[in-house]
Amino acid sequence: MLKADRDIYDVIIIGAGIGGLVCGCYLAKAGMKVLIAEQHYKPGGYCTSFKRQGFTFDAAAHSLGGYKNGSLGKVFKELGIDKKIEIRQTDPSNIIITPDFKISFWADLDRTIKDIQTVFPEERKNIKVFLNFLFNPDPKHFARMRGQTFKSILDSYFNDNKLRAALSFPMLNGGLPPSKMSAFIGSYILREFILDGGYHPVGSMQALPDALVEIFKESGGELRLSCLVKKIKVKDNNVTGIVLENGEYIPSRYIISNCDAMQTFYELLEKKVVNQDFLTKINNMVPSLSIFVLYLGLDEYFDKLPEPGTNAWFIPHYNIDKLCHSEEEGDFRNGYMIHVSPAPNQKSLLTFAISPFKNKRYWENNKRKWLESFIRIIEKHSIPGLTKHIVYKDAATPYTFYRYTLNYKGSAFGWAGTPSQLAVPDMRKPSFIQNLYLTGHWTTLGTGIPGVMYVGQDTAKMILKKEKIKL
Amino acid sequence: MSENNIEKEIISIISDVSGFEEEEITPDTNLASELEIDSIKAIEITVAIEKKFKISIRDEDVPNITTVKQAVELVNTLLNQDPNVKS
Repeated sequence: MLKADRDIYDVIIIGAGIGGLVCGCYLAKAGMKVLIAEQHYKPGGYCTSFKRQGFTFDAAAHSLGGYKNGSLGKVFKELGIDKKIEIRQTDPSNIIITPDFKISFWADLDRTIKDIQTVFPEERKNIKVFLNFLFNPDPKHFARMRGQTFKSILDSYFNDNKLRAALSFPMLNGGLPPSKMSAFIGSYILREFILDGGYHPVGSMQALPDALVEIFKESGGELRLSCLVKKIKVKDNNVTGIVLENGEYIPSRYIISNCDAMQTFYELLEKKVVNQDFLTKINNMVPSLSIFVLYLGLDEYFDKLPEPGTNAWFIPHYNIDKLCHSEEEGDFRNGYMIHVSPAPNQKSLLTFAISPFKNKRYWENNKRKWLESFIRIIEKHSIPGLTKHIVYKDAATPYTFYRYTLNYKGSAFGWAGTPSQLAVPDMRKPSFIQNLYLTGHWTTLGTGIPGVMYVGQDTAKMILKKEKIKL
Repeated sequence: MSENNIEKEIISIISDVSGFEEEEITPDTNLASELEIDSIKAIEITVAIEKKFKISIRDEDVPNITTVKQAVELVNTLLNQDPNVKS
């Protein structure tokens, strides 16, 4: 039977972030009738771009990792994303800058190892052993890290505190200090985002969700934008469909929530259908921190800027725990990351710092103050003469991210990646409701674009196995 | 809990995590090569087993769980351990 003739959807996915889009593409390609409902007018979630006064800015996600060997590359090939967009790699992908040294992360792993060994000759052997461990394909050895913190892994391999700090700092990609971050998540971020990082779609990051939408529609999928879902309907412990903001009811056999877990379990589902112990449990869980992003349009490239496309991480000192603590308080003097767009002649610059959520009113009153103080700090410590080149400036606060994506507390990475919040049972497939799945970064299984691509693909595969459909 | 029931519970957990039907999973099925269990799924299974049986599996034992049978043996050992020496 043709998809269009079937009267109800096989699957409705709530949220057109990358996890939802990837999941939808796999399901639609396999012949299922799929609807994706997205509340924003643009697909992509945290992976969108916008234009202001001739400048194009990536809103949050600004580069991709894991393209060569990781889960992202696998999804690109399987879905044919490669045929829709051109990917280029910046080399080096990341650079860590401290008061004493610089470390570059090159596409050539051996070159990276040599660079680190030059700065830390005493750690020569340890660096090799550690990177070998990270790239060890045996999943079982990775799995044994589930209860450990990233700090304990670094401590077990390295003696030099400065090197430990340098390798920890990009872990702010997970919004946690290494003493709290799961060893598994930390190693994953280092391997997929940093050591195999620095990839960009030609144009802007928006090219990625746009390509996924194309593939999804070519496979018969339907996407509704500006379409807010209000309820997930459940009857006899089985999902039956969704209700939209305008009251429209749309039935479906499966529901996949790619949106925030608090919203899913506290707002979309009726309280009576959710296991009460589970509600108590998630009420005690901690979301990852949000980010404060500065968007600057420049009149020209000048020599103090980081290389376009390279993530430049500035660490002022080596007490990373203290540093992350003050990030929670919102103090930019303790480190940030700068990214100049790799698109030719774009002259747009992004700066990221981890930030607490606070509240709407706080940001209405303080956004400008934070923006100006962030610029002053960058000018003083990293890019002398910056101010006179700025022709456009704006910022996104944690509240901005909440407003556009509805992620709980503007959280940038879903649930915080602590050991106790890793692979939480019922978070991807609640046992108390049949045919309901979660996907994306609230599943406690993956973070960042590579992570949500993996989870999106895996969620689709689980449903296809259940339906006995071969890809 | 009898060994038979432990096996049933473990197969149900592995079925949930892997997406394979319970009927497709036998005591000797290899988790990695036959059920596509990668590192994150190995963690999912370990955490789910710990929660279900209220036990704690030592990190060094995780790599030893390569089949259903091995998981059952490990859970059995941990359940029958003297509670005073439980890690």
